[in-house]
Amino acid sequence: MWRDYSSGYMKNNRTAGLSVTIAAFISALLLSLLCGLFYNAWKYEAERIELEEGGWHSRIIGELAAEDIETIRNFANVGDAAVNEKGRKGTEPTVDIYFSDKRAVFTDTPRIAQQLGIPQERIVYNYELLAMYLIRGPGDTAPRLLFPLFLLITAAASFSLIIIIHNAFAVSMNARIHQFGIFSSIGATPKQIRACLLQEAAVLCAGPLIAGTLLGIAGSAGLLYLVDAYIGSDVPGRHPLIFGYHPLVLALTLLVTIITIWISAWLPARRLSRLTPLETIKNTGELQLKRRKNPRLLPLLFGIEGELAGSALKAQKKALRTASLSLIVSFLAFALMQCFFSLSRISTRETYFERYQDVWDIMVTVKDTSVDEFEEADRIRGLDDVESAVVYQKAAAKRLIPEEEMSEDMKSFGGFSGAPASYVTQADGGWLVNAPIIIMDDRSFAAYCEQIGTAPRLDGAVILNQIRDVTNPDFRHPVFMPYIKTPGAHENAVSALRRSGSEETPAGPAAMPSGSHMETTAEVPVLAYTQEVPALREEYATLDYYELVHFIPASLWKEIKGQIGGTEADSYICVRAGEDAALEELNALQDEIARLADGKYAIEQENRIQKYETNNRQIQGMMTVFGAFCVLLALIGIGNVFSNTLGFVRQRRREFARYMSVGLTPKELKKMFCIEAVVIAGRPILISLPIVVAAIGFMLKASYMEIGVFLTDAPFIPILLFMLAILASVALAYYLAWRGVRRIRLAEVLRDDTMM
Amino acid sequence: MEILKCEKVRKVYGSGGNQTAALDGIDLSVDRGEFVAILGASGSGKSTLLHILGSVDKPTSGTVIIDGTDLSRLNQTQAAVFRRRKVGLVYQFYNLIPTLTARKNILMPLALDKKKPNQEYFDTITGSLGIADKLDLLPNQLSGGQQQRVAIARSLIYRPALLLADEPTGNLDQKNSKEVVDMLKLSNRNLKQTILLITHDEKVALAAERIVTLEDGRIVSDERRR
Repeated sequence: MWRDYSSGYMKNNRTAGLSVTIAAFISALLLSLLCGLFYNAWKYEAERIELEEGGWHSRIIGELAAEDIETIRNFANVGDAAVNEKGRKGTEPTVDIYFSDKRAVFTDTPRIAQQLGIPQERIVYNYELLAMYLIRGPGDTAPRLLFPLFLLITAAASFSLIIIIHNAFAVSMNARIHQFGIFSSIGATPKQIRACLLQEAAVLCAGPLIAGTLLGIAGSAGLLYLVDAYIGSDVPGRHPLIFGYHPLVLALTLLVTIITIWISAWLPARRLSRLTPLETIKNTGELQLKRRKNPRLLPLLFGIEGELAGSALKAQKKALRTASLSLIVSFLAFALMQCFFSLSRISTRETYFERYQDVWDIMVTVKDTSVDEFEEADRIRGLDDVESAVVYQKAAAKRLIPEEEMSEDMKSFGGFSGAPASYVTQADGGWLVNAPIIIMDDRSFAAYCEQIGTAPRLDGAVILNQIRDVTNPDFRHPVFMPYIKTPGAHENAVSALRRSGSEETPAGPAAMPSGSHMETTAEVPVLAYTQEVPALREEYATLDYYELVHFIPASLWKEIKGQIGGTEADSYICVRAGEDAALEELNALQDEIARLADGKYAIEQENRIQKYETNNRQIQGMMTVFGAFCVLLALIGIGNVFSNTLGFVRQRRREFARYMSVGLTPKELKKMFCIEAVVIAGRPILISLPIVVAAIGFMLKASYMEIGVFLTDAPFIPILLFMLAILASVALAYYLAWRGVRRIRLAEVLRDDTMM
Repeated sequence: MEILKCEKVRKVYGSGGNQTAALDGIDLSVDRGEFVAILGASGSGKSTLLHILGSVDKPTSGTVIIDGTDLSRLNQTQAAVFRRRKVGLVYQFYNLIPTLTARKNILMPLALDKKKPNQEYFDTITGSLGIADKLDLLPNQLSGGQQQRVAIARSLIYRPALLLADEPTGNLDQKNSKEVVDMLKLSNRNLKQTILLITHDEKVALAAERIVTLEDGRIVSDERRR
């Protein structure tokens, strides 16, 4: 049938398959884009793990002789084995094993250990990296959702595309239903008809498939370039995102796209091939209503033209389902995305940039350096334009709070009764809570003491004595109250800090003095209880509402760190520049700080203005990416409207001819067209708007944001533009169809009996 | 020799209390080489009978055997192959593929079987139907009469056991009608082609050697004219 029928038909009806060509192109483009992005996300993650954890697949902890390492190397599936002096388990050396066949890692590593007489407990697997290659071991209990997520999104995209584009194939195939009826009547089998339709689809889709795939690859490269350049380039210490592509990804992309297009073509081809000759020959290609159902609103608003338009839309309901669905989804997604990002922008601005605006200008992370090891603090303070510089480090400790120490306010909302066990544990004599320690350089600590009106001393701690009213979930407007009771002025208050992870230690300062407990507990004098925090870019008690923050000077920490430990590896410097420092000044200051640290410390820096701009760019970038997907979805819908309306002239010519023959004027016909266009474009908007409003209401409620605040920043203009773009596209499609209808010659159509 | 045999063929449309019997116990036998006209008014069931004989539709009950094949046992694919090889269908509205030339339309049943035509036979039928010089034209470049001749040529190309013609003159003027009927008679005589002509026109029916009259889905007369 291909040689005798299809090739000639396609040669002479090049425009008939336009909608199919567009559908195939869009499918290939979207799937190729997705696969390209996913591959690069996977590649980036694998590279990140290799950089952070190492590229080894399994590792044996402990020192091994050279001949043992040689034995490991001689294992069939082992690519290499090397000694790693600084393994994962502290300072103990390890032997890192790299497998040529990664799948053998869980069977061969125990064998290697057995042969070398090493206990199985000394084996460590790089589960995170192995999971990237879909190799999972029985000991790996982490969810590892990256791959399933990719597969799920690709499958969902493929499924959605089938739902959306199969209609384009159906419209194109159904236009020739009568011809296939003739074929059937002269003996073409359903298989032959199906094969013919699928062959035609294959020929129509081959070009767009290749073009769409290539453009998708280019698109993913461009998108990643944008993401890297505009979103992540300013994030300190970030591994750069470099686009890559693998032939297997191309093969997979083509496979997924071909399957998607094939199913989309096969569904209508199967239906059509199964029709009996009687059904197909009787088919006039005209729109038919299965049930008579009078449209009410349109006749009421627009009279007879409204009724005709309503009936036509009902008859086209199935053909326009794709358009309706994709326009609704795209508009809904676009509007929700705009609102969500606006809300997120407002929230970040309020809770982060505005709150910390006067707290920091430059943040320096000094890698692997404790606060007392950093010796450049004064030189930084001495730099021009530096108003203040606080060097600090963070440590984790525990603190027991007996019932009698709890403030009355805290007791009033139930004390620790609602505290999650992951943060607060009940112990003998009270509750063990987290006590984060902020270790400040001595000069900054003394300044902080003065700020809160306490005589500066370097042998004690200042306690942030506040707790949020946990019964009030409004995090935007929290109510704070005293956490613990403040002792009288004549009492020498002390705070017993414990090493984090030694929670089983018996409670209370009274119980402390026995030897072993003293090793993990330090009693520090309390200089002050305050609700005022030092000017640092830190948030306190955000996740764990029950933590009791201690600020202590570096000199004190030197004395007690042996008992408590728990320090983070890095220190931070919070630098405040002069009033209204501009970005250029901050950049210059960063260069100065880098010069001071050069060769002595490994540092990473960020500045407030740059971060604000980066944050805006990130939101903008994400909105562009999501917006592009919404536009793509809308394009599918609009493409469907175009394919449907451009097919009008052929499919509905008898219908229009009948209207004309009973006296419908071109003006009335035009009005009918306009009504159809308005309904098609307007319906998705009308359906989506209440959902958007409800969703915004929910988001505002969940984020405790006042509607007035949101409305000042609400994305009315982008949503309106998107709405107008949909309306304009549908109007254009109908205008083009109208031009076709205008050319119909009434006498010719009514005489044409081949339609019967 | 019997080529078509219908026994108690019944076709009912609708369900429940809304049933209508289009055919009600048709018994019919046609010998090879016969030219039979099925005559009946609109709604008599003649088109339904044609569709059943052409394996386009299935009877509700009863058996139809054509050239030894029981049509009720055929699935969709087998029915299509049967139509292609054993039955030639000629419709009132020609049903030619508008994008194919007359030649390709005629050869389509063979092309579906990937068979090459017998050139001599092809020349014979196109010559006797008077369309030899129109073979490279598209259907819309032919007159109604010429289109119907192409349709007849297509139905004969596979040398079917039975040629079923459904009101083949219904869309033609008097001159073309006569010519088409003459063509059918000619193919019956020269090619020994068995023909079942379905018509409501008594004058057209007179071209056949046997006239079977249908009324309300039943055969009311079966008359051999010579």
